[in-house]
Amino acid sequence: MTSTGTVEGTSQRFWTRIQPLWLGRALALVAAVLLIVYPLVDDDLYYQNMIILSLVFAIGASGLSIISGFTGYISLGQGAFIGLGGYTIGVLATRLPDSNIWLWVPISGLVSALVALLLGFVSLRSRGPSFVIITVAFLFLVQVIAVNWVSLTNGTAGMTLPLPTWDREIANWPFYYVLIGLLALQLLMTWWIRRTKLGMGLIAIREDETKAATIGISLPTQKIIAFMASALVVGMAGAVYGYYLTFIDPRGMFSILLSVQLVLSMLIGGKATLWGPVLGAFFIEWLNETANNDWGGGNTRLFLFGGLLVAVVIFLPKGILPAIESAIRWSRTRGKAGLVGARIGTGGSLASITDRVQLVDRSEIPDRAILEVKNLRKHFGGVKAVDGASFLVPEGSITGLIGPNGSGKTTIFNLIDDTIRADAGEIWLDGQRLDGLPSWERAHRGLGRTFQITRLFREMTVLENVVAVQRTFSLGQLGRVAVSGAEARSAEELLEYVGMRAFRDQKAHALSYGQQKMVELAQILMLDPKVILLDEPAGGINPVLIERMGEMIRELNSYGKTFLLVEHNMPFVLGLCDPIHVLARGRNMASGTPDQIQRDPAVIDAYLGDDFVLDEKVQP
Amino acid sequence: MSHVPSRQGLSALALTGVLALSLAACGGDDSGSDSDGPITIGTSLPLTGEFSQPGQAAEQGYQIWQDMVNESGGLLGRDVELIVKDDASNQNTIVADYNALIGQDEVDLLLGTFSSLLNLPASAVAEKNQMLYIEPAGGSPEIFSRGFQYLFFAQQATADRQGLVFADWVAGLPEDERPQTAAYPTLDDPFAAPVVEGAREALEAAGVETVYEETYAIDTRNFDTIVSAMKSADPDLVFHGAQFEDGVGMTRSMLKAGFAPDMFFQTNAPSFGDQFSEGVGADNTEGVFYAVSHHPDADTPGNAEFVRAYEEEYGGVVPEDAADAYAAGQVLQAAVEAVGSIEDQGALADWLRENEVQTILGPLSWDETGAPTGEFLIGQWQDGEAQIVLPEEASTAEITRFWTPGDAG
Amino acid sequence: MNELLQTLILGLLLGGVYALAASGLTLIFGVMRVINIAHGAFLILGAFVTYWLWDGFGVDPLLAIVLTTPIVFALGWVTYWVVVSPVRTAPMASTVLLTFGLALVLEGAMGEIWGNNSTAIRPAYGDESFTLGELFLPKAQVYGGLIAVLVLVLLWVVLTKTWLGRAIRAAATNPSSAELVGIKVAAVAALVFALGIAAAGAGGAITGVLYPFVPGSHYQWIARLLAIVVLGGLGSLNGAVLAALMFGLAETLTSAYVSPAWATAVPYAIVFAVLLIRPQGLLGTRLREDAVAA
Repeated sequence: MTSTGTVEGTSQRFWTRIQPLWLGRALALVAAVLLIVYPLVDDDLYYQNMIILSLVFAIGASGLSIISGFTGYISLGQGAFIGLGGYTIGVLATRLPDSNIWLWVPISGLVSALVALLLGFVSLRSRGPSFVIITVAFLFLVQVIAVNWVSLTNGTAGMTLPLPTWDREIANWPFYYVLIGLLALQLLMTWWIRRTKLGMGLIAIREDETKAATIGISLPTQKIIAFMASALVVGMAGAVYGYYLTFIDPRGMFSILLSVQLVLSMLIGGKATLWGPVLGAFFIEWLNETANNDWGGGNTRLFLFGGLLVAVVIFLPKGILPAIESAIRWSRTRGKAGLVGARIGTGGSLASITDRVQLVDRSEIPDRAILEVKNLRKHFGGVKAVDGASFLVPEGSITGLIGPNGSGKTTIFNLIDDTIRADAGEIWLDGQRLDGLPSWERAHRGLGRTFQITRLFREMTVLENVVAVQRTFSLGQLGRVAVSGAEARSAEELLEYVGMRAFRDQKAHALSYGQQKMVELAQILMLDPKVILLDEPAGGINPVLIERMGEMIRELNSYGKTFLLVEHNMPFVLGLCDPIHVLARGRNMASGTPDQIQRDPAVIDAYLGDDFVLDEKVQP
Repeated sequence: MSHVPSRQGLSALALTGVLALSLAACGGDDSGSDSDGPITIGTSLPLTGEFSQPGQAAEQGYQIWQDMVNESGGLLGRDVELIVKDDASNQNTIVADYNALIGQDEVDLLLGTFSSLLNLPASAVAEKNQMLYIEPAGGSPEIFSRGFQYLFFAQQATADRQGLVFADWVAGLPEDERPQTAAYPTLDDPFAAPVVEGAREALEAAGVETVYEETYAIDTRNFDTIVSAMKSADPDLVFHGAQFEDGVGMTRSMLKAGFAPDMFFQTNAPSFGDQFSEGVGADNTEGVFYAVSHHPDADTPGNAEFVRAYEEEYGGVVPEDAADAYAAGQVLQAAVEAVGSIEDQGALADWLRENEVQTILGPLSWDETGAPTGEFLIGQWQDGEAQIVLPEEASTAEITRFWTPGDAG
Repeated sequence: MNELLQTLILGLLLGGVYALAASGLTLIFGVMRVINIAHGAFLILGAFVTYWLWDGFGVDPLLAIVLTTPIVFALGWVTYWVVVSPVRTAPMASTVLLTFGLALVLEGAMGEIWGNNSTAIRPAYGDESFTLGELFLPKAQVYGGLIAVLVLVLLWVVLTKTWLGRAIRAAATNPSSAELVGIKVAAVAALVFALGIAAAGAGGAITGVLYPFVPGSHYQWIARLLAIVVLGGLGSLNGAVLAALMFGLAETLTSAYVSPAWATAVPYAIVFAVLLIRPQGLLGTRLREDAVAA
């Protein structure tokens, strides 16, 4: 661009040149400084109180965002952890009256986290609506226990804490600053989680839980960790809150309205964002107070809150921050061509990804079956989808699985990776039995699988989709940073190989079908599996891409990767696979080399058809 | 470079905006109390929500008090101006309200609210700011266990002692008239439960056998099973700790079950005048005992004027909570006028600890925790009207023993 | 023995009313996948409307169900088109919050119109009981229970024997296919929502006679109804009825034999325990996981 611009033109360029990152950081710093300095310059009790309450809500909403925003499990019981924190400090302070009450704040956090652990175990098998209701039942149950365990909690009469013993002038300051510290801690934890493999795993769980399991994410472990993370600091905030109020009783501490305010704060600000819940909490609390004081009391406040909830859900469903972000992005990218229209890259060669994908010398491959299924059975009511299927996949081969629609091919895939649990039969991978193990354990043992209709994590970027994969399980691994560093580099190399590197920052839902398939392949390679199951790899993509797919399969195979393909594209299969198994009516009907299969009369009768002729030119 | 930072930036921007707005809005609140202007008195009441019934009654009482004070020349020669906020029966809100009253409205004096659950956190705010806090209702003994210096309760006794006059009377009955057995159902409530506790201890010491003792949860609606169990235990006396709804509910359940013990004592609900008699049926009120702090016909200072003013303004029988609120105003007034100024709230508190105040509830005095040292009144419904029957000095009618539902008398 | 019989009968009567109240909630979820947190508020609204008819016009409150139900049905219909239909396809978190907001607005409205003081409907038979030997059966409870059963049977007949019912079930099972065979799914959804709300209103008419209420009573109700519906299996009407009866019995039995203090808590504990073992509830169905994530 030339430099002959009007003043407007110059300022426009300046605006777009400022890195949003630095602008954001500067503003955050200003806000933090303002917040920290406020009580020193103004002793207005009303606002100090409002900020203290807002801080408690901000911490609660931010914690909630980990389980409800990242992981997608909406909890209406988050208020219980604030209450538990309050009760812990109440019980300890009244039992040990000569102690320094502040000592009990961290303990309150631990108690909350422990209860979250319990709740996590209990709710592992619930999803969606059942989960929400379980959290409500949990909240009521905790309240009832607090009411009835009178010897511990003093029941409905509640517990009282002593008033602050320090100087009256700075009465609120310790609460204020401790809460700011706790908010910083919570935000730090949320920010860090978002960058690590743990965070990737949580978002993957939210987007597509079943798929997440197949790429090695251990569902129960991650969910429980998320739960505990969402409660730890929140419990500490609850303790400070209880101390601030000096009165702790079941109805105040475990009211469902508290939980609703937290969810509302999180949603209005923007769930799964860092600052969204904080913004939402401050806004909602301010609105709460103002509605009560200036706009006329109880019923007005109900109208206001209710109306706000309804309006936000209908008009601003993603929340304020994401809406602003979308608007800015739209204005910045207006008129520019989207990246997703671009061509897929020509791809790299395998030589570049040696640190990620283990390559094996073909000559050293033993002569045995690496994957074997014996007598697999799966019935859906009266429908026998898979009825005693048995076949094996030799190590180092590209094995094909073909058959008419409804013969059970995809179901068999689902049984092998435990997307569906088999009724009977055995599955052996590299000498180990897989049946009975959950999907992620199978992934850790070397099983990778793509889906017929691609399943990527829509709201995650292409890069994040790939780094979400967990090849093995260890707590240390979960803590590894995923958005940059070694993991990200490996992912980028794999994306380069499949030709999708340029798309690394695109959200997955923006990709075309063919592009998604490539990314899914990169995901599987990230697992470094021994056996790769491909479900219709050539389906629904253009011929150039089909060719590229075939190339990649061959190349990977030449380095020792075993493939099992389900396909309808006969030229593709017959040109690539050996052996080929033919499935019909839920069981294996024929097996052999491509030539044998083409000429087998039973196969022709069941599937290929009398007029099947392999066109030489179309072979990949 | 990921997309997260721009979101961070925007959110921080918005956060700053909210903060800036709120800081700007709080400027200019240095209006101190002008010594010729009105004396501002702040309170927050549950005008909506769970405690709205007594909350609204308390507001009425405060209003009457304000009007009557201003009509007779005001307080220390200045008009009294009430600032009443609505806390919607919510703890966080009442804390914010009292902080607003002290910090923003900068009121000269405070008055308390209804319900122990709300008074507990609110009084802490007052105490932290060293302001006098006289509460009209909230007799849970917990409130007075914290060593507060500025807290006072404007009724004759705390909850655990409110049934004692009745228990003593029962204990004093001749052998053949005294009930042998008693049932103690109570709401799990910091006010109702101590009343029943206190009475039960006294009655057991007098030899009345406890045949049923249960606490039921706050959201209980269905009393049929409780009544059924009590009926099987066949007590002579039922001493029921209740608030309003469950009091009415339990009574109706008892009627449905045809269960009418000889003597029936219930906290709270019977003191609600017309609402109680409409709730259980006027015929069914005959002989019901209850503890109350106020009676419209009592010959106490200012009572006649108060009742007349209330009836003119709002009509109907004066609810106890309105009277308690009025009495709280009277206590505040007495302290301010005796000390002669409103600047030193500590002096006001000291004065109250050392002196007795004559109110429409009778004479009130306090111990060092702010708990009152008087005796509660015992009321009884007779002929469709609420009367005071104990202690005899204050009684407006003679006490009868039996509960006779379905009898107009 | 008598006490046990008494307790059981009371429990079943209570459960019957719970069943009516919960039926609408599970129906709405089954067809629309919407968890209607405002269901309790509509129940209380039904109670208030009944109170208005009884107090203002002297209509017997239980007979007034004939009037109350259509009124609440109409309100439900309007609510659907104004508030619910825009978010019919939104994720579950959104609908939970939307309906919660709706509940708050209703609570505020009821408070404005009728005030926050305790309201009760007291017809003449409200304090009377049928006596069978040693047993006493409160008349209001018996009438209420019978009416609840009647309305439930009506609902069941509509759902299983009429074309409308089949359309509803088709739309619930597979909306896109239902469209293909000529069922206007959007209209069916509106109808189902209104029907469900009407059932809640009818339930409210009955509970208004049994218990006093304030606008804020809806919290306790919705907590109970949610627990019942989840226990029975979301979307299953039979499950809701079964769970409601269990709930009612659990409440009365706990109150009589354990302690009234735990009476309201034990049902929640039961729900918790059942969901641990059987996350889909008693009669609910599990979704197939192999389908593409919706």
